[in-house]
Formats: sequence, structure tokens, C-alpha cells
Amino acid sequence: MFRNRLVLIISVVLTALLLLFAASTVFAQNDLEMETARKAFEAADRGNPDPAWEGQTFTIAVFSAGPRGPISGPLYFWRPFFEELTGATYEIVEIPFGELREKIFIDLITGTGFYDAIVGPSWFYGDYIVNDWIVPIDKYFEDPRMPVWDRDSIVLPIRELYMWGDTWYGFNNDHDGQILYFRRDVLNDPEWQAAFKEEKGYDMPVPPQTWEEVYDVSSFFNGRDWNRDGTPDYGISMHLKVGGQGFFHFMSYSAPYVVAPAPGDDPTRVTSYHNVYWFDPVTMEPLINSPGHVEALKSLMRLAETGPEAMFGWELGEAWDFFLRGNAVMTFSWGDVGTLSQLPEHSTIMGKLGAAPIPGSERYFDMEKQEWVEERNFVANTVGASWHGVISRFSDQQDLAAYFLSWQATPQINHWNVVWGWTGVDPGTLYDFLPPIGHASLEDYVATGFNEEDARQFITAYMDMWYHYPLRQHYLRIPGTPEYWEVLDIYLSEAVTGLVSPEEALNRCAQAWNEITNRLGRERQLAIYQESIGFQPE
Amino acid sequence: MKEKGNIFVLPAIGWVLLFTIFPLLYSLRVALSQVVFGRITGWAGLSNFARMFGDHRFWQVLQFTLYFVVASVTITVLLGLGLALIFNRKMRGLKFFRALLTTPLFAAPVAIGYLGVMLFNERSGPINVLLRTLGLPEGAWLSNPAWARASVILVDVWQWTPFAFIIILAGLQSLSDEVYEAAAIESSSGWQIFRHVTFPLILPVVGTVTMLRIVDAFRVFDIPFVLTGGGPGVTTRTLTYYIYVQGLSNLDMGYASAMAYFLMAITLLVGIFFYRQSRALYQ
Repeated sequence: MFRNRLVLIISVVLTALLLLFAASTVFAQNDLEMETARKAFEAADRGNPDPAWEGQTFTIAVFSAGPRGPISGPLYFWRPFFEELTGATYEIVEIPFGELREKIFIDLITGTGFYDAIVGPSWFYGDYIVNDWIVPIDKYFEDPRMPVWDRDSIVLPIRELYMWGDTWYGFNNDHDGQILYFRRDVLNDPEWQAAFKEEKGYDMPVPPQTWEEVYDVSSFFNGRDWNRDGTPDYGISMHLKVGGQGFFHFMSYSAPYVVAPAPGDDPTRVTSYHNVYWFDPVTMEPLINSPGHVEALKSLMRLAETGPEAMFGWELGEAWDFFLRGNAVMTFSWGDVGTLSQLPEHSTIMGKLGAAPIPGSERYFDMEKQEWVEERNFVANTVGASWHGVISRFSDQQDLAAYFLSWQATPQINHWNVVWGWTGVDPGTLYDFLPPIGHASLEDYVATGFNEEDARQFITAYMDMWYHYPLRQHYLRIPGTPEYWEVLDIYLSEAVTGLVSPEEALNRCAQAWNEITNRLGRERQLAIYQESIGFQPE
Repeated sequence: MKEKGNIFVLPAIGWVLLFTIFPLLYSLRVALSQVVFGRITGWAGLSNFARMFGDHRFWQVLQFTLYFVVASVTITVLLGLGLALIFNRKMRGLKFFRALLTTPLFAAPVAIGYLGVMLFNERSGPINVLLRTLGLPEGAWLSNPAWARASVILVDVWQWTPFAFIIILAGLQSLSDEVYEAAAIESSSGWQIFRHVTFPLILPVVGTVTMLRIVDAFRVFDIPFVLTGGGPGVTTRTLTYYIYVQGLSNLDMGYASAMAYFLMAITLLVGIFFYRQSRALYQ
């Protein structure tokens, strides 16, 4: 009897202590979060809010991830500050990823203007611009009511996503590109390095620099219990479900096999054969079934064999989680992995994160000579959404919406969003990057709970990719881009799950792309494509 | 008086004209038009209908749709019939079990889809965890094309079996005890009584359930949309899903309308067939 009571008392005390500890951790985290947010709020430029805005409301459409989820989360977080600032407020309409296009486009097609601002993906730009759905924002840069933000700080490839030609349409927010993440502790372990050398016959590359090296490392660790939990672990983690954004993996993976440097003094010059990835800029014939793309898909499928089969049904959150929980030795993804790895509720790998620029390839296909070139090729990417705000032409609250988006784009608020991982806002400005390129400091990151070496690796990987890589992959910005990508997504899924061969999948994709191009008007599509990649017909 | 009474029918006629006839005619116009980015740009004649026949994706989704309808309806009706026979007797806790059995019917299909996502999660879902614990091979529920099809069908069957169960049970309970007493004199075999007495008597009910389920199954959208995203590839994409993508995502509403008319024709044919069959049965 006494023993039972004792057990009960001990259990109650332990539970209470646990709850207290959990609560104190959460509150401590929230205190720090609020304290740093308040500092950012005080430091950020506020412009001169128009008194007429008091009591006004506008509506923002955003990708649905909830009040503490990526991209939508910061809108909830900053709303009380915005209300304090202006006396105005805004409604947040969350739209699931799979329904973004139809919900937003139908509002714009019908001219309803229900959404005053849209925090959407960059792949909508072709449709936005050609249909005249969003307003240019240059006029706001001179408007004294608007907070000032630093456009020149944004890394060039991302800055171009916010613009069309020389005109600005988007407000600075998120900066997407995929890099390689790996387990620093595992790859640097001398025991594993020795075993790798014995098996593969060369020193383990840390970090792997090409996809061929990534495969060697991933296949070496796949099936081994490298996290010492008693069960075999995996090499790679990817998200390959249809509609799960898996096609972005293929884009960043295939770029170095396809994007060839131009001969002569300027390797970045766009010609019919060089620095092109999507279409032939003379004929608008798809390049998606070029030998470089096919080789890349085969190689990607081989790499996929070194991860769990379940990832063919994963969306990106599941793939991130698998890596962050310490079950895969590598993944390649967006900046979210870097920031989420530092949150104890999401990650078990804090202090163990390694990061490197997106790998290159050991060879690339020269479309002019129709032959493979046996040289390493490195191509930077901006794949993903780079979620950011634009203003609907049909909005009757354009100025107020512009004020909010300008304020969110200020260096202090934007950088705060970057360093707090749950926001989903990824680094891409000089005030996020470290010297000598940028002017952020590791202390900025450490102050929010980052492990110093993790932060250094993470930020340096992005700086190296965007500032030092010789080439970059163009973003597809033509009308119908979501449809082209949806078709690609399905064919890739068919290939990786063995329903059709890689060649057949990409040939069919090219055929389907041709049908879309013909339906939307080949001449018009070609002109927009040429303009979007800076191709000058000779 | 009779003429005055007709006035009360006018709201109903207005409703039908506004919300049934007008959309039907308007969508026919759209199906016969060239539509780019949601705007009608010209007359297309029958080209949107002709396009269906050359579109291999259309045939793929139609094939899965037919496969889904046959498998899901067959399993649902057989299970519903079996459960109705089991619960059509006096037993303790009968009301509780009947209520429990019908629960899935009251959930929205999209919620059922999300439930399926959790159940079939290949790493942490309870089904694979259980299989793992028992030392059995785990299922690639959502990543393998064949398993994904089975998962979609299983979830649909789980949701709609109670519907078949309720209707067939009502049919069974409407049968008179005297019929069974007479049948018991003729035969002692339960199977023979079922085959020669019960089943023929409830056949119209089973036919009605089957018809309603077929029509409904042709329209399935939520479950594959949420559970598999139509994949891998398009292996679990249904015709309605394809129409949705073409019409509302790709804004190719002319083609989407043409396919919607095709789907309507199929369901109408099914309806007419069953209507004729059941009329013959009653006569």
C-alpha cells in the first residue's frame, strides 16, 4: 500500500517537473523571440504611415502552413506590430499548396480582387505579367509613406525573380535555392573515412562536390548503422511524391549536366546551345529530353536507391524530417533545412550539420557539338518558390498592402525572419551573409540559438553557390509555367517508380510541353522565353 | 384554383433553370469553345471532344476510374450485404454496433483522405508499425503504384460500406417473418434460404445501392487528391481529378468541360441501365 502511494507521488512529482521544464523552455524561447522581434521592430524603418489607413483592412493570400508554419507564420507573428504601427490590420487567407494556382488565378482572372496582396511563388510571374494581374511597385520606392528596404542587398539571381525586365513587382522576402546538407560528424569520423577508402578506393570527399561523389558517399552509408541506434540507416532523403515539389530536386540535380558554359570570354553568355535549360531559344522546342537531362534522371534514380523506398510517397516536410531526425546522412534542399536543424522540436542534429553548395557533375553535354565533355561543371540554382508579396491590380487597398510588404522587406524585419527557422524565410541578402561578401555576423545567428559551426557552414554554402559558382540555371518564367512543371512532375514520378523508362518519360514530357506551347501560342511563348533568359537572336 | 397553384411551382422551376439548365448549357458552350487562361477565344467545334481520344492521359485516368468503380463498388456492396446479414438478427449491443459501423459515413471524404494519409504513412503510420512489430513485410502503401491504387480503394470502401450496410439492412428488416417461416418448412439450409428467398427479395435494394454507389464512385475526387495526389505518376488520378486539374489548375476549361460531358454521359448510361433493370425486376 505504502509502496503504491510512493510510486504515485514520485510519478506526479516527475510529471510536474517535466511539464515545468517543457513550459520554461517554451517560454524562454518565446521571450527571446519577442525580445529580438521588438528590437528588430524598433530598428526597422517605418516610413510615415498614412493616418487614413487607421481602421482599414486588407487581405493577403498565402501558402497554408498555419500560424507557426513556414511563410504563413510570419504574417501572423507580425500582425500585432503592424496594427500598432498603422492602426490598420489584415486578413490572412491560407491556401493549401496544391490549390494555390486555381484559387489565386481565378481571383485574378475574374478581377474579383478578393486578395489585395499575394505572398506567392515566383513561378507565377509569366502568368502575372502577361495577363497584367499585378502592379509594378517602383512608384513606392519614392513614396515617403513607405518603409525603405535595401534592394541592392538581395543576391542578383533572386533579385531578378522579384523583377520583370527593369521593373520591380515583388517585395523582398524569401530567397530559395537548393544546397547539399550532410552529417558533418559522420562524414568527418576517421573510422568511417577509413572504411570508405577501403571500399571505394579513394578518400571520402568531405563535402562531396559532384553528384557522382554524392552517390558514392550515400551508397556507402546506406544500410549501415551510422547513427548507432541498432538499426540500419539510409544514405539520402528526398521528397518524390507527385505534387510534393520533387521536380525541384530534378531541376537542381540536372542543371550541371545540361547547362553548358559558352565558349569565349564570357561563359555565362546565353546562346542557342549554352546556358539554356528549358527550351531551345530559337525554336521553343523543349530541351527536357536532351541527353543531359536523361543522364541526370538516370543518375538521380540511382541515388534514390540509396534512400528509403517510402520517399517516393513523401512531400518535402517528410523528407526534411527524416534527415533532421538523424535517419539519412545527406539531403539536398532549401534553406529551411539549415534553420530547422537548429530547432530542438524539429531536429536531433544540431551541432552536427554540414552544408555545401549544390554539387556539380563530372561531365556535361555540349548541345552544339552533340557530345559529352569530360569536365566538372558547377551550376547555381534558384529553384523553389522564393515566396514573396505582390499586389493585385484589382485591389482597392494597394497602398496599404504596399506599406505592409515594404515594412516586411526592411533589412531588420527580413533578417529577423531569416534567423528564426520556423518562419520559412531563407537567407539571400548581404545582411544575411558573412564577411567578406556580406555584413552579417555569426553572433546574429548564435543569439537565436544557432550552433556556430552549423551557421557558418549553412550561410557559407549559399554564399559560395550564389557568388562563386561560374554558371546558373535560369528560372522558368513564361505563361503556363505551373502547367509545364505539373506535367514534368508526373513524368518524373512515373520514371522514378519504374512505370516508364527515363528516356520515355522525358520524351513524353517534351511532347506534352510542345502541346502546351502550341495551345498557348508558340510565337508568344518564344518571345517571352527569350526575354526572360536574356537571349538575343542573331 | 389549379392554375393559381402552379404559381407555387415557379420558384422550383426558376431554381432548376438557374442552377441546373443554365450551367449545363453554358458548360456545353465552353466545351465547344477554345479557352485560353480561362477566357473564351474562339469556336472550337468538336475539337475538345476529339482531343480526348488522342490524349493518353485521358485514357489512363479513365482506365483507373473504371478499375476504381468496379473494385470499390463490388467490395462495398458485398461487405455491406455481409454486415447487414450479420446485424439483421437479435443480439446484444446491436444498436451500439450499428451506430459504430456507420460512423465513417458521417465524415467528409477529405477528412477521410487525411486519416488515410496518417494510417498509410510508410514510416510512422500505425499499419506499417503494426506489421513491423509482427515481423511482417511492410506495405509501400503510397509509393508503389499497385499499393497506392489499393490504398485509395481501401479508404473509399471503408467510408462507403456503411452506406450499403444501412440501406440493405433496411431492406432486410422490411421482409416479413412469415416468408422465412414458410421457407424454413421447405428448406433447412441457411444458404438456400438466402439464395432463393432473401436475395431475390432484396435484389431491388441491392440494385439501387449498386447504382447509387457506381454514380458516386465515378465522381470520386477527395480521397485520391488528399491521399496520393493522384500518383505515383497518374496511377490513382480519377477522371474528376483530371477534369479539375485541366479546368481549374491549367485553366483549360474547354477541354475540362468536354471531359465533364463525357463523364456525365457515362453516369447517365449507368443510371438508365439500372433504372430499366429495376423496372423489369419490379414488373
